[in-house]
Amino acid sequence: MDNTLITILLAAGILLVIAVLMALILGWANIAFHVPTDPKITAVTEILPGANCGGCGFVGCAEYAEAVVKGKAPATLCGPGGQDTANKVAETLGLAIGETWPFKAVVHCAATREQRLKQTPYFGEQTCAAANLVPGIQGCVYGCLGYGDCQDVCEYGAIDMVDGLAVIDVDKCTGCRACEKACPRGIITMIPFKTEEVLVVTCSNKDKGVLVKDVCTVGCIGCSACTKPSDGLIEMVNDLPVVNYDKDSSGIDLNKSIDKCPRESLVFIGLHKDKKKAKGQPERIEANFATTIDQTEWRG
Amino acid sequence: MDTIISLFLIFIGAALINNFVLHYFVGICPFIGVSRRVDMAFGMGCAVTFVIAIAATLSWTLTFYILRPDAPLSAWLWKALGGNPDVSVDLSILSYIAYIFVIASSVQFVEMYVKKFFPALHRSFGIFLPLITTNCAILFACLEIMKNLQGGDQIWGLHHALALSVGGGIGFTIAIVIMAGLREELELCDVPKALKGPGIALLVAGILAMAFMGFTGVDRGVADAIRTLTHN
Repeated sequence: MDNTLITILLAAGILLVIAVLMALILGWANIAFHVPTDPKITAVTEILPGANCGGCGFVGCAEYAEAVVKGKAPATLCGPGGQDTANKVAETLGLAIGETWPFKAVVHCAATREQRLKQTPYFGEQTCAAANLVPGIQGCVYGCLGYGDCQDVCEYGAIDMVDGLAVIDVDKCTGCRACEKACPRGIITMIPFKTEEVLVVTCSNKDKGVLVKDVCTVGCIGCSACTKPSDGLIEMVNDLPVVNYDKDSSGIDLNKSIDKCPRESLVFIGLHKDKKKAKGQPERIEANFATTIDQTEWRG
Repeated sequence: MDTIISLFLIFIGAALINNFVLHYFVGICPFIGVSRRVDMAFGMGCAVTFVIAIAATLSWTLTFYILRPDAPLSAWLWKALGGNPDVSVDLSILSYIAYIFVIASSVQFVEMYVKKFFPALHRSFGIFLPLITTNCAILFACLEIMKNLQGGDQIWGLHHALALSVGGGIGFTIAIVIMAGLREELELCDVPKALKGPGIALLVAGILAMAFMGFTGVDRGVADAIRTLTHN
C-alpha cells in the first residue's frame, strides 16, 4: 500500500480506537456510578423561576427545591414566582399550602436631602457604610444617608436615588433582600404585599417629637394620632407607629389614619403606581441652633 | 544525581520561573474568574493540580507509545500494514485532538467517580472539575510534554512529565491564591469605574508577572550549586 494511505488509515484507526474506548468507559461509568436523584427535585426545580435570587434564603433555586422536597422548607418561600409557583409546587408534592404574598422592600424614611438636617460636610468615602461610622454628619441618626449602597447592590435596577433618598420601584423588586442587608441603618425591610396598596410607616426615628422636628421636616413625631382610627392595626412602639401586617386590614379605612398624620410619615405604597405625595410640608429644613448643634467643648 | 537535578529544574521551572499563568499567560480564565475569594481560589488551584497530573500521565502514555515519531506501537502497526520500513512514522499531528479527547473524558470519569463515592468532596470541589476540562493551562502542559518527546538529546520519561505537571499545578495555585488575596484587598479600594472587575484584575496580574520575573536564573544557580557540592 501507499505510504500516505497507510498514514491516513493509521491516524483514523487510532482516533477511532481511542473514541470507542473512552465511550465504553464513560458509558460503563454512567451506569456504575449512577447517583439516584429524586425525580421530584427535578420537577420542582423546573417549576421554580430559576432566577437564583436567594430571596428564599437558599443558595439557588435547586437548593430550595431540594429543601422543599425533603420537607425542610415550606413551598411558599419563592418571592419572584409568587402564588402561582407555590400552588404548582404544592400540587406536585401533594402539600397543602396557605396563601402566599410577594415580599417587597420598602424604605422607612421619607426625607429627601433638603428635608433632613445636614450638620457637617462629609468628604469621605461616598458610601453609606462609611458615612454611617462618622458621627454628626446628619441630624437624624436613623434616616437615609443617601449614598446609595442599596442602589449598588440591587441587581434588578429597582432602586433609584431621588433627591438623596432611596426610592424603591415595587414592580421591579423581587424581594431578594440584598438592599436590606446593605443598608447600614436597617431602614429597609421586607413587607408582604397582601393587597395592591400597603400602608407603610416611612420614618425610623425613635426620638421624641421635639427632637425629630429639629432634624427633619417629614419625620414621625410620635403623636399616635394614626392609631385610633386604625382599629388596632397600628400600634406605637418606641414613639414610632408599627403596622401589624399579620392582621387582616380589610374593613379598616386606612385613609383616615393617613389623614390624621400631621407629618408625612404614613403613606400607601402600591404596586403599579407612584407613591402618594404628601401635603403642605416645608421643602427645606433650617437648623435650630439651640438644640441641634453639638455644644461639647474641646478640652484637648 | 543528574536525573534528580533535571527533575528539580523542571519542577522549579514550572512552579516559579516559567509559571504557567504569570510567564506564559495560559489559564487566565480561571485565574480571573475564580480569584475573588482565597478559599475558592485554593479549591480551584487544587483541582487544576489534580487534573493536570492526570492529564499529563495520560498524554505522556499516549504520546510515548503512539503519537511521537517512531513510537513503538505505531511503528509496529506501520510495519504490519506494509509501510516502507525506511520511512519513520509520525502521528504528532493528532496530538491536539487526541489530548482534548482523552483529558475531557478522563475528567468526566473522575467527576462521576467523585460524585458517587465522595459526595462531600464533590460539593466543595466538584464544580471546578468541568470548568477546567481541557483548559489552556492543562493543554499547554501536555503540549510541553509532547515537545520533549519529539526526539533530540533527551526524551522525557513519565517522572519528568509528572514533575512538570505537578510543578505547573502548584505554580498555578500559588499565582491564583496570591491574586485572590490581592483582589480581596482591592475590594476596599477606590477603583475608577471603567477599570472595575476584570480590568484592574488584569493590571494587577501584569504587575504580579513582573514580580515573578525576579525568579529568572534561580534554577540555574541552584543547580550549579548542587552540582559543585556533589562533585567535591
